[in-house]
Amino acid sequence: MAVVTRPLARSGMSREAVVSTVTVVAVIIAWIVVTTAFRISPLILPSPKAMGSELETLLSVGYAGKPLYVHVAMSLFRSLTGLVAGIALAIPIGLAMGYNRTVNAALVPIFGFFRPIPPIAFIPLMILWFGIGELGKILLIFAASFNYTVLNSAAGMRSVPEQLIRKGRNLGLTRGQLFTSVMLPAAMPHIFTGIKTSTAVSWAIVVAAELIAAQEGLGFIIQDAGTFFRISDVFIGIIIIGLIGVSLELVISLIERRTLHWQGK
Amino acid sequence: MGKIVVRDVSRTFASSSRHGSDVQALDQVSLEIADQEIVCLVGPSGCGKSTLLNILAGFDAPTMGDVRIGDIEVRSAGPDRIVVFQTPALFPWMTVRDNIAFGPRKRGVSARQCSEDAAHYMHAMGLDDFSSHYPYQLSGGMRQRVQIASALVNRPDVLLMDEPFVALDFQTRLGMQELLLQIWEEFHPTIFFITHDVEEAVFLADRLYVMTQRPGRVKEEIAVPFPKPRTFDIVTTPTFVALKERVFHLIREELTTSNSRGSIPGRTRS
Repeated sequence: MAVVTRPLARSGMSREAVVSTVTVVAVIIAWIVVTTAFRISPLILPSPKAMGSELETLLSVGYAGKPLYVHVAMSLFRSLTGLVAGIALAIPIGLAMGYNRTVNAALVPIFGFFRPIPPIAFIPLMILWFGIGELGKILLIFAASFNYTVLNSAAGMRSVPEQLIRKGRNLGLTRGQLFTSVMLPAAMPHIFTGIKTSTAVSWAIVVAAELIAAQEGLGFIIQDAGTFFRISDVFIGIIIIGLIGVSLELVISLIERRTLHWQGK
Repeated sequence: MGKIVVRDVSRTFASSSRHGSDVQALDQVSLEIADQEIVCLVGPSGCGKSTLLNILAGFDAPTMGDVRIGDIEVRSAGPDRIVVFQTPALFPWMTVRDNIAFGPRKRGVSARQCSEDAAHYMHAMGLDDFSSHYPYQLSGGMRQRVQIASALVNRPDVLLMDEPFVALDFQTRLGMQELLLQIWEEFHPTIFFITHDVEEAVFLADRLYVMTQRPGRVKEEIAVPFPKPRTFDIVTTPTFVALKERVFHLIREELTTSNSRGSIPGRTRS
């Protein structure tokens, strides 16, 4: 019987992990070499060493009167609040659109119109309507997260194989059972794709929103530090944003692999 | 019980394009299948075999005529007649055991009873070692076994089998054909079996119907005289070979006389 076997567990790091690590180390070395050998001004590209000491200052003193973790936490709070709310609303609405053509026809003009507009185009309106407080920023992230997950949830519902629906009807399932036990799990891979996109978008937008109107947050640090030529802080801000973005993606991918392991390879 | 009566069933599909003409898939098909009988339906591709099976399953309705199973008119799908699809219809997020127990569980059978039943049919289909596997981890033949177990567990009066072995390699197919006859010996379901493999039809059927090219009609009804239980020893007997040749001839007649009747309707699978 042909049963797919997993490769034997390997000891230590995989080949791919080693290669990726080498890339990271190479970039850092190149950075050190470039900044020292060409004597580039720290106002253009600070050396990793200079950034290291600046990071120490940030960790002990903070930035703009607030500890560094407060800035990180604020950005995460705004992003995740908008993201979770957006996803929570998008999944049921998207599923309804995928399930029912009338619902889809009613809503598609609205979401279809807003989808191609970059969410940051609405920042001025958000400030005008909701001020520079938290509400406007979170609403912006909410709307952007919503838009991507709603699209994928609807697509997931439409992609449920007709054969599985027939099998469910054949087995005597009620309409409700058919929805919860057949269509919803079958749509999960698409829904997850939506969640992943929304997560990346929400993190990108929180930084954009903070660039324009905030007194704390990673976007604020970059904007503020740039204004005062604290270039090391700009770079540190960018690196933290990148690392958190990668971590968010890893967490979602991990959850995806756990819940959708049945897709195989 | 599992008696099937198909009376004057016609099915016409409305054209999907504005200027195309309607397609008639079935034309006044009448046939009867006795309780616990194995009947095969053979015919050229696109002759409406699957359309008839979908009507029996309750996935589709006839344009004219009616279908009765055990004296009750078929109006919707139900677990008294389980379809075994050509490509195994398994829920990929469930293990083999959960796939098999799914139908009874959703109809409110107790969890304990379901797991006992699932174990029984897994054993009957030789799936004991695979109960915790997911469908993606199984070969095509094993998936088809799981699908058959997930059908039998509902104790259907009727099995509706839509070319279930066509995607399997030759040896696996032979094994599945023998397995199907063993299943019949044990559970005695009425089996309506669609195939375009003439040898498969003659080997399995108590009786077989040959269909015409589209629009599908019953061209001929042929009784297969071999008693059950059967083994593959019969396939080399003169009677078997003669029967096979006769069915071949009937199908060839269809292919040569009626190849000018247009394209295959989009709704029916070959």
